[in-house]
Amino acid sequence: MTTKLLMGIALAAAASVAFAQGKGPTDPQIAHIVVTANAIDIEAGKLAEKKGKNKEVKAFGKQMVTDHSAVNKQAGALAKKLGVKPEDNDTSKALKRSAHENIANLKTLKGTAFDRVYIDHEVTYHQQVLDAIDKVLIPSAQNAELKDLIVKVRPAIDAHLQHAKQIEASLPKK
Amino acid sequence: MKFVPERLEVAAGDRITWTNRDFIPHSVTAKAQSIESGDLTQGKSFTYVAKTPGEIDYICRLHPVMKGSIVVK
Repeated sequence: MTTKLLMGIALAAAASVAFAQGKGPTDPQIAHIVVTANAIDIEAGKLAEKKGKNKEVKAFGKQMVTDHSAVNKQAGALAKKLGVKPEDNDTSKALKRSAHENIANLKTLKGTAFDRVYIDHEVTYHQQVLDAIDKVLIPSAQNAELKDLIVKVRPAIDAHLQHAKQIEASLPKK
Repeated sequence: MKFVPERLEVAAGDRITWTNRDFIPHSVTAKAQSIESGDLTQGKSFTYVAKTPGEIDYICRLHPVMKGSIVVK
């Protein structure tokens, strides 16, 4: 379990530095990263709603589906309004690869083991997303409305992170 | 994502209205006082009349890290 989590961190770290050498992502790429990052957490949340054992873990999963769907609805509407066509890129691809590993791993688990691995990953994931927002997405976004949307989403990601940490601390020890 | 203001002083009998200005649903929940707004989507409001002097600590049930308090004088 530890190994898999570390791999997740390594992959995401690679994703956040993917743009470090050159210039940052373009607005269409940022739009794609935002939509991808939300879709990933929606998928994991659906799994937690279904497979979670702990009541708070299940509720958290459901909340991730609700909140990240709301963010994607906003992002989709804004992209349409601005005429931005989300463009696939290395960061989105790395996020997806990492997410597939997480989902595949979660599907092999059940009960308290599922709860712990899911919540541990949610803590790590939301921390990574916050870092990406601060270091890559906000500084790179050119369009003011796109930047504003990311700024507005940031507190929700932070609240999710703190909530996930609370649940993580309340789960029975391994 | 927070209650603004996070702390509010009111007089007994005052009506307090919360409006969700976020695109993510939130609630106003204080179990001890049986206050439960239900899930408020964007633009929806919830009103509570503070009757008894004292302090009411409340949270968003959906995002429990969101906290607020009402001081009823």
